[in-house]
Amino acid sequence: MKSNSFEPPIKKELEKKSPDELTILFMDRIYQQNLKLIEGIEYLIDEDFENFEINLKYVIKTKTEVEIKKTFEAKLWKKRTVFAKADRLKVFGKINDIKNIGEFMANRLLLYKVVFPDEKFKLRIKNILKSLKIICGNLSEAVKLIGSDLVKAYDICEIVKDERRKMRKEEFELLQRLYNYSMDYLSRTFLYLKNMIEDIMMMADHIKHFSEYIQFLATKYLIFK
Amino acid sequence: MELELTWIIVALLIILALGLSFSIGANDETPAPLAAVGIIKFSSVLMLGGFGLGFGIIFFSRGVASMVGEGILGPGITYSIWMLLSVLISTIIWLIVGSFMGIPLSSTHSLVGSIFGVVIVFSLFSGGIDPLTAFNNENMLRVVFSWFWSPLLGLLITLIIYKILERSYLSRLKGLNQIEKSERMFSITLIIAVFFANIWVGANSAEALGILYALYVNESLTIEGYYFYVVLCAISAFFGLYIAGRYVLRNLAGQLTEARPSDGVVIQISSSIILMICTIIYNVPISHSHLIVFCIIAMNIAQKKDVDYRGLGRMAIYWILTFPIAAIGAGIVYWILGASLGVM
Repeated sequence: MKSNSFEPPIKKELEKKSPDELTILFMDRIYQQNLKLIEGIEYLIDEDFENFEINLKYVIKTKTEVEIKKTFEAKLWKKRTVFAKADRLKVFGKINDIKNIGEFMANRLLLYKVVFPDEKFKLRIKNILKSLKIICGNLSEAVKLIGSDLVKAYDICEIVKDERRKMRKEEFELLQRLYNYSMDYLSRTFLYLKNMIEDIMMMADHIKHFSEYIQFLATKYLIFK
Repeated sequence: MELELTWIIVALLIILALGLSFSIGANDETPAPLAAVGIIKFSSVLMLGGFGLGFGIIFFSRGVASMVGEGILGPGITYSIWMLLSVLISTIIWLIVGSFMGIPLSSTHSLVGSIFGVVIVFSLFSGGIDPLTAFNNENMLRVVFSWFWSPLLGLLITLIIYKILERSYLSRLKGLNQIEKSERMFSITLIIAVFFANIWVGANSAEALGILYALYVNESLTIEGYYFYVVLCAISAFFGLYIAGRYVLRNLAGQLTEARPSDGVVIQISSSIILMICTIIYNVPISHSHLIVFCIIAMNIAQKKDVDYRGLGRMAIYWILTFPIAAIGAGIVYWILGASLGVM
């Protein structure tokens, strides 16, 4: 079975996998869901509300990763040696948090079908989404490397942090633009767009913290000459 | 009547020696890293540690016991049962006071200090023995010097072993899978290392066996009787670890779950080497706690971690004070006993 397939893996197959393989599979699933979420927001920008709804509902409804989570936890629970057990569990928990944030975002975005104020705003949102896609991809790569190469994972996390810094700059410019439109600041459009930007940044912040945690793991476990 | 009293005191000394053996097991922290890694059940860790202690006491303790029970005394001097009783009473009081005050004390240093005090009082008040010849000065100095060089050698050996391991192997591990696999291998090695370390902890624990050996030298015990009680001491140490030691170990193991088994292996091997040298080659009783502290300091230095020099300084003060305080305390106890019972 391809690791990035959306088909739910058979339970027996999952049980054959090691905790590290399960983490990679879990990360893949969550990454795919994030891509769907970002694609959904892009549909919203393009005012393709039908596909926007399909994508976001997919993010909310898919539960394929639940089985992976259960198998991982059962495996780790049974594992006798405690070395790195807590860190493995924490990594998994942090991946799961991405899923929770994604679901939260999708639910909030589905509350209303917004029309964006102008093309420049759309372009800036697209830029932020592009950065989000990059940091999601890089984080996924870093998580996969925890088991095999912590030095590489550390370097990739540095890229994530740089990209997130760019996003922060973009966020404030976007908010400034939003606050300077002549519109009712208690209007649904204003609140929706403000929340959307903040939610995207909440996801980016979590990814940044996750990256820092991976860097902490590299510092903790690697021994240099 | 006098004979009866003598046998009561001998019986009391044997009971105290067994009690001391129990406390050696109860305070043994050697298996803590093994309990922390969780590779074998906690009860198996206790059994393994207990067996190691017992094995060491039965088969390798004779040299150190004879040093404490006979070797450090000058020619023509043997311990009387009252001297031994004073030594044990003083040692136990000092260790209890230390525990209540939260002072980390070495039972070995306390015991040898107590012996020193008692023998000095004996030489001053009993038949004109010159205090300068009351001891086998060469052996006494060998024992006292070993308390200084053994922790320092432990520090050095730990540093060397760790650096070799780091350069040749640990620094080549790249990912968590590799590191986990390697640490699992070290966890298995830790089983052997802990057993090995416990053998030498048992063999070097002179407190109880030195008393028994002294009873053998002053003919209160036959050689068969001595070995019989050595076996009982081994069993007592085993139960000390199994029954009472579990609380200390569980507590320590809980704090060590994040520790690397490879660190544990290096520390156990280094301390075992020193204990083995001291036990087999020099027959000197050393402080296992001080040795372990220096091995841990060496690991911290090697891994560029902080070292608590303040705590270390505090420990050094008690380290130096233990011997004179135990000596003065034991001297006073012996003087009071001797004066009140007329046995000096």
